[in-house]
Amino acid sequence: MRWALILLATCAGATEIVERPGKSPLITIRAVFRTGAASDPAGQEGVANLTASMLAQGGSRQTQYKQILDAMFPMATEVEYQVDKEMTAFLGETHADNLETFYGLFRQMLLDPGWHAGDLARLKDQSVNFLRTSLRGNNDEELGKEVLYNGIYMGHPYGHHNQGRVAAIEKLTAGDLKRFYQRHYTQANLTIAIAGGYPKGFADRLRKDFAVLPQGSATLLKLAAPKMRAGRHLTLVEKDTRSVAISFGFPIRVKRGDADYLPLMLAASWLGQHRNSGVRLYDRIREVRGLNYGDYAYIEYFPRGMFLMEPEPNLARRQQIFQVWIRPVVPETAHFTLRLAFFELERLHRQGLSQEEFEQTRNFLSKYVNLLIKTKRAESGYAIDSRFYGIGEFNAYVKSGLAAMTRDDVNRAVSKHLSMENVQVVMIAHDAARLRKAIVEEAVSPMKYNAPKPQDVLEEDKTVERYPLRIRSSAIVKAATLFE
Amino acid sequence: MMPLLYFATALAALAQQPAKLFPYDYAQRDLANGLRVIVVPTDFPNVVALQIVVQTGSRNEIEPGKSGFAHLFEHVMFRGTKNITPEQYEGFLKKMGAASNASTWDDRTNYHTTFSREDLELTLRIEADRFQNLSFPEDVFRTETLAVLGEYNKSAAEPGEKLIETLYDTAFDRHTYKHTTIGFLKDIEDMPNQYEYSRTFFERWYRPEFTTLILVGDVKANESLALVEKYWAGWKSGAYKAPAIPVEPAHAAPRTAHVDWPSQTLPWLAVAFHGAAYADDKPDSAALDLIAHLGFSPNSELYNKLVIADQTVDRLDVDAFDHADPHLFTVMARVKRQADVPAVRARILAAFESFTETLVPAGKLEAVKNHLRYRFALSLNDSESIAHSLMHYISLRRTPETINRLFDRYGALTAEDVRNAARRYFTANERVVVTLSGKP
Repeated sequence: MRWALILLATCAGATEIVERPGKSPLITIRAVFRTGAASDPAGQEGVANLTASMLAQGGSRQTQYKQILDAMFPMATEVEYQVDKEMTAFLGETHADNLETFYGLFRQMLLDPGWHAGDLARLKDQSVNFLRTSLRGNNDEELGKEVLYNGIYMGHPYGHHNQGRVAAIEKLTAGDLKRFYQRHYTQANLTIAIAGGYPKGFADRLRKDFAVLPQGSATLLKLAAPKMRAGRHLTLVEKDTRSVAISFGFPIRVKRGDADYLPLMLAASWLGQHRNSGVRLYDRIREVRGLNYGDYAYIEYFPRGMFLMEPEPNLARRQQIFQVWIRPVVPETAHFTLRLAFFELERLHRQGLSQEEFEQTRNFLSKYVNLLIKTKRAESGYAIDSRFYGIGEFNAYVKSGLAAMTRDDVNRAVSKHLSMENVQVVMIAHDAARLRKAIVEEAVSPMKYNAPKPQDVLEEDKTVERYPLRIRSSAIVKAATLFE
Repeated sequence: MMPLLYFATALAALAQQPAKLFPYDYAQRDLANGLRVIVVPTDFPNVVALQIVVQTGSRNEIEPGKSGFAHLFEHVMFRGTKNITPEQYEGFLKKMGAASNASTWDDRTNYHTTFSREDLELTLRIEADRFQNLSFPEDVFRTETLAVLGEYNKSAAEPGEKLIETLYDTAFDRHTYKHTTIGFLKDIEDMPNQYEYSRTFFERWYRPEFTTLILVGDVKANESLALVEKYWAGWKSGAYKAPAIPVEPAHAAPRTAHVDWPSQTLPWLAVAFHGAAYADDKPDSAALDLIAHLGFSPNSELYNKLVIADQTVDRLDVDAFDHADPHLFTVMARVKRQADVPAVRARILAAFESFTETLVPAGKLEAVKNHLRYRFALSLNDSESIAHSLMHYISLRRTPETINRLFDRYGALTAEDVRNAARRYFTANERVVVTLSGKP
């Protein structure tokens, strides 16, 4: 299969610079290396993230981190970073008044890192505390999503969290980081986007400055298809928590640029456009029944969705999953809500969208795409992603694709890619054993409401309360064992 | 429309000259019914951001048992009118490809929609309709209250939320800042039974005299004002005289509280002092803003000591957010080991105390002033962000001019002003310390 095993030819190359000039005095510099957590060697899960954090949140060879913070402070700026499976991004935004000082620091941080022991100890702690406390302890929704990804990609380069595993992080040395940096932070792997009111000649200056990196060659990691487990599988994460967070999904063989991408994007938008009301899952689960705060669907990785209204760019991947995010429900309705979501998904798969639903969603997306790219920060990121996927400008790609699309294209893509036969489900719950028993034994899960409901909803509930989930296997894991 | 050149000139050399920090020309008009309209044309193409600020938030929830109502109402406002069903409303938004949402805070509720410029009239029409003609049956209301409970539940796994909830509850006896915006859980659970009260709430607060409409983006001022007039002039003003918010009396002793978190987490520590209300005409709140950045940001000596050098703390946050009435100045630390909590507490208190004793050196004062100016300038990076920044200040003073006045105030602050503010507010009796610890 075309995408099952990709080993791309190597080609030596210089840093590519993408320019998005503008009249505003604000300037964005975005440097993206084509490497990430998927390149973590076995036993060193977390090295990609720790390397990037040492650059963005550690000192350079000549400047201690504290001095960097002091210099950044009057400019009100910083270097942000983001590590995903195949991309590592560094981002700075500065006012034109301060470009020289800011760029001087940015260059130093990325090109001449200090690898100081104090920074390493601090940033290791930060990673470990993120995994154990911020994610596992304090954010059930993100936890559910990440456990889902780890489950689907078990034994695959995508199969661990972007920040790594605790045991591996604790063992990492400065030498490990330096080796990773030297191997992956190359000119061939680097694309820089600049946007806003930067001066003439700035692109040439960047190209020249970043030529100190090894030239390298654009070698793509081998990526086999994730092993699909036949049937439906349930993982319950047990922890002391008030409600039940739910995520489920499965791999799809579609990524941005593929023929079925835009039709699937439309279907996912109709089903559950991120943080939008008036979409199907949100309507049936929250609006009609008041079961939770929101319900959304995705065909691309979208971390930190509870904090963001729009996706961050530079999370481009060659492999994606279809994913549904059910925001926490009270334990008494968890089984029913999961059934309702499956019921909706199977109906979509069977019936597809009506002409009216298709046209309404197409109209929506044709304009909504403008809002995704309304800042230079976003524009610079999308431009780099479009190069990754080999498409033109994202905005034009979406608009022209939607204009040419028919309802049949969407329904064919839905039928081909969104079968609910093989699904992994993750639920974070306090009383996991009780919930598992109910689900596995297909116990009836009747709903009780605090207000009268229309007859059609009550009728539908009679079907949903007995709707077979057909879970083939299930497991309960203790939260404390995750990401260790 | 403001020429682009003006924008560039106004922001150039921001650090050197006292240029107006809010560089955009804008039109402001009050309709006869009391609605205030502010239109800010920008050079960012195609997109328009509308924000509708209602001057009610959790601060106005003075009746016992009714905490969380301003926020609940934010939800109810999406539940249809006499003329437009919720499905039709959603249909319009979908047709426009608009991003629409709302948020509630202590001092205001804000409805925001971002859309393409050709949909300006439609947006103004459907928004005017729901502010004037909201109509929701009791069963729909009861269902929506469950979505609010869902919102509470989705945040319930985060100990920071509980820490803040406990901090406010401990710090305030009389003022309504005692409860967070989402409200006390017992009140949220009782919301389904409050249908009648919800109608009273709407009648009181959703009135033009409590509302400001902000339009930012690819718009023309006159055209926009005429459209607002067309759809919003018929909105009737109300008769509600908002009762005074109870004033928090001076406290006789410092306060402490502790939260036992039921699952595994790192310990948290919050150290707070009662602070100053937002003001652009006197130095106190501006001086406290400076202290927040000088004393507790990643650039501070405290951060350097706790996070970078000793590494006993992995997160240090400061919250001195602007409020209509005096709220708290809070520093929160996530501590890596339980045993270090007392020492971290002592360090944080010492940092507060240093501002009451020592004058801030001139170089640092200059750096923090530049920081605040560039920080604001960097936040104006598209029409939606500009509208959002404006909305915050509009909710406090109902005019963009407060931004320029505030930044003039920052510029004029002396080291003595900073020390005076520290001495006035960082006093033992007004201190509140809350700790949180989880299972090991």
